[in-house]
Amino acid sequence: MDFQSSPKFFIRGTSILVRTVICASLSLVLMASDSRFQYLSEIRQVGMSFLYPLQWLSNRPEAIWQGITEYARTQSSLRSELAKIQDQSLIMSADLQQLQALETENQHLRELLNLASTPDIKVKSAQIIAILNQQFTHKVMINQGENAGVILGQAVIDAQGVIGQVTRVFWFSSEVTLLTDRDFAIPVQVERNGLRAIAYGRGAKGYISMPYLPANVDVQQGDRLLTSGIDGTYPQGLLVGEVNLVKTSDNSPFAIVHAVPLAGVHNFRQVLLIDTNEKSTALKEVEKVMLEDQMQKQKREQRNKQLLENSQEHQ
Amino acid sequence: MPTKAIYLSLLIAFVLQMMSWPSWAHPEFVLLVLLYWLLRAPEVCNIGTAWMVGLLIDLANGGLFGQHALAYTLTAFLALFYQRRLILFTNLQQTGYIFLLLVFNQLLMILLQAYRGQPDHIAFLFSSLISVVIWHMFHVYLLNRER
Repeated sequence: MDFQSSPKFFIRGTSILVRTVICASLSLVLMASDSRFQYLSEIRQVGMSFLYPLQWLSNRPEAIWQGITEYARTQSSLRSELAKIQDQSLIMSADLQQLQALETENQHLRELLNLASTPDIKVKSAQIIAILNQQFTHKVMINQGENAGVILGQAVIDAQGVIGQVTRVFWFSSEVTLLTDRDFAIPVQVERNGLRAIAYGRGAKGYISMPYLPANVDVQQGDRLLTSGIDGTYPQGLLVGEVNLVKTSDNSPFAIVHAVPLAGVHNFRQVLLIDTNEKSTALKEVEKVMLEDQMQKQKREQRNKQLLENSQEHQ
Repeated sequence: MPTKAIYLSLLIAFVLQMMSWPSWAHPEFVLLVLLYWLLRAPEVCNIGTAWMVGLLIDLANGGLFGQHALAYTLTAFLALFYQRRLILFTNLQQTGYIFLLLVFNQLLMILLQAYRGQPDHIAFLFSSLISVVIWHMFHVYLLNRER
């Protein structure tokens, strides 16, 4: 059952060397154009929607396994879990009542101080359907795309905190870059003292780092990092990570600060997409301050002009 | 008949490869099937097939367009270059050559992505090892069935 036919005597097709050179140069051209120009994204989108059924198929074993483990749980374990969840919901509802009171109070105080009000966060749920197998990147696919109204740049979170950001949107799916990817940066704020910084993903090492903080910076091990909301992409106050290493080095003016992400960045589970139509409070406040600054500047200029005119009249 | 078998087996390998394997043990199903057909039916499955399959993998992975295509093309070239001699080799010798090809492919991928920093682990060699074990098992099974 050897499928190889006997070699032709005279006519030989294009030699494999020629074919290799053609294909290799074609792929080099593709690589160059993909890294420099944007026009391949259309092709990618069409291709991805054709690949979606295959991706769905290759996700089946994992989904079926999850279904089986769900089905095979015993009554006692379910009962104990139910009790735990009921306890949790009781505690949470007590917290929620307090939260509502605090929210109205906060709103009131903000009005008194003439600050911008905090917007409500709207979320949409999605499921991770594939982990993109590349050696150097941390990316996943989710099962919501353009058809479900996913927008490029949307923040993705889970119950514990930030997971990443939508970096490509296809018709039925979209690509999410995870917090630990090398290309990832996120503006954060230390919960304890409000210090602002930018955290970068560190790729393979699985943690994030804040590289440009001075050596005497006030950050301790165990500090929690929240999103600062200044970028306008992430709402304020989402949990990002926990600082697990603060070190100074003799040959650098900067401190070495590492943090571990708290969300289940590498777990297979449900995720939430955050609508970023509303500007974050911090951004609004910055804009407001800038506007006030401009108004004051204008007023000052006007006053200076008037003073000048008055003095000229006196002369 | 071989054409159909080739495309069906490549499709199955593609679905298998897209499953979420741990990154240190990710068998290269598509490359294995590709190499098998390159050695068995070079009239149907040639460099062009390898290139197209590589492009599909790039599409599914969301990486730079053409990097898998380039790596697969060059690996396929090395496989085809010795194809006439390879099919006369013993089973173990073939497996050894396939292992070399797999490592070559992995090193190429690492080189092409080197601008992004270090790989996750030294795992790339380990995944070649797993792939070659799968190759050997399947190859022996297929040969036994033919006899």
